[in-house]
Amino acid sequence: MGSANPAWPPRKAGPAEWLASRGRLTYTSTAMNPVTAHRRHFEDLALGETVELGAVTVTKDMIFAFAREFDPLPFHLDEDAAKRSLLGGLASSGWQTGALTLRLLCDGFLNSIAAAGGLGFSDLKWRQPVMAGDTISARATIAGLRRSSHHPELGIMTLDLVVLNQRGEPVMTMSLANLVEAREGIPA
Amino acid sequence: MTRWFEDIEIGADWPLGSHAFTEAEIIAFATAYDPQYFHIDPEAARHGPFGGLVASGWHTVSVGQRHMVDALGAEAERLRAQGREPGVPGPSPGVNAAEFKAPVRPGDTITYTLRVTGKRVSNSLPGWGLLTNIIEATNQRGELVYRAELVAFSKLREAAG
Repeated sequence: MGSANPAWPPRKAGPAEWLASRGRLTYTSTAMNPVTAHRRHFEDLALGETVELGAVTVTKDMIFAFAREFDPLPFHLDEDAAKRSLLGGLASSGWQTGALTLRLLCDGFLNSIAAAGGLGFSDLKWRQPVMAGDTISARATIAGLRRSSHHPELGIMTLDLVVLNQRGEPVMTMSLANLVEAREGIPA
Repeated sequence: MTRWFEDIEIGADWPLGSHAFTEAEIIAFATAYDPQYFHIDPEAARHGPFGGLVASGWHTVSVGQRHMVDALGAEAERLRAQGREPGVPGPSPGVNAAEFKAPVRPGDTITYTLRVTGKRVSNSLPGWGLLTNIIEATNQRGELVYRAELVAFSKLREAAG
């Protein structure tokens, strides 16, 4: 599969390069943020740290509701069409699996650290469908930690996410880049 | 792409339409799926990295998916109106990369565009092809807010007989 623009996607360029092009941050010291003052900051995170997130059962009604709003393809909305499709039965939208995983990640991890926004994600693979009635759980591992070169009061955390069904089979994997406030900027 | 794999052209831009993000729907989406303070609490968000409430990136992505599906459906209708049989889009095996380039704030109008950048016959799934699509989203000032490279299955006409 070729790409019309060989410079994209930025598989080599990391989140720091994305950040450099953004210029969207409105503060220079995170000491003034009362919302995250008592949370773990960038300096408190460790490479390889693994967090077991919670679980959620994906019901038929949840699949219909998400698909009606965001992914109204016949095989997410109609059980007969779903049986005839590649998925072989009613399955969640892959975007719904991702959204439910993000919720598990917020509840189980991001809301306990000084998370400061997502930069993007890569290598997202929907490895097998999440069928109605399946229970998915997730695990996040810190796979990268580095300071932003342009915003030293922020760190860039890379998380490897693995989502499993009730049989322990991976249904989705992805790598996510997220900003985290640091307690101290790097001294000049 | 509601065309048969064989008919899909590489490189052409495909407008998917626009969506105005309201504060209420930003909060509703994030309350369900991404409840971080800068997505759900306008007051707390003032202290955060964006200086105010912003949409969850996953919200921007999900609205883009909706626009893509609607555009596929509209094209299928056009083809049927011309007496042609539309092709069959399939599920997606994944996303190569996605970047959030700028925040989406309440009141922003986001315009989505799709471009097919590559296609090949699937090795693993007989009768299907794989498309590489780039989706881009820009705000009302023309600034890029989101870009992703998506992969999707598309049925071969020859396989449909």
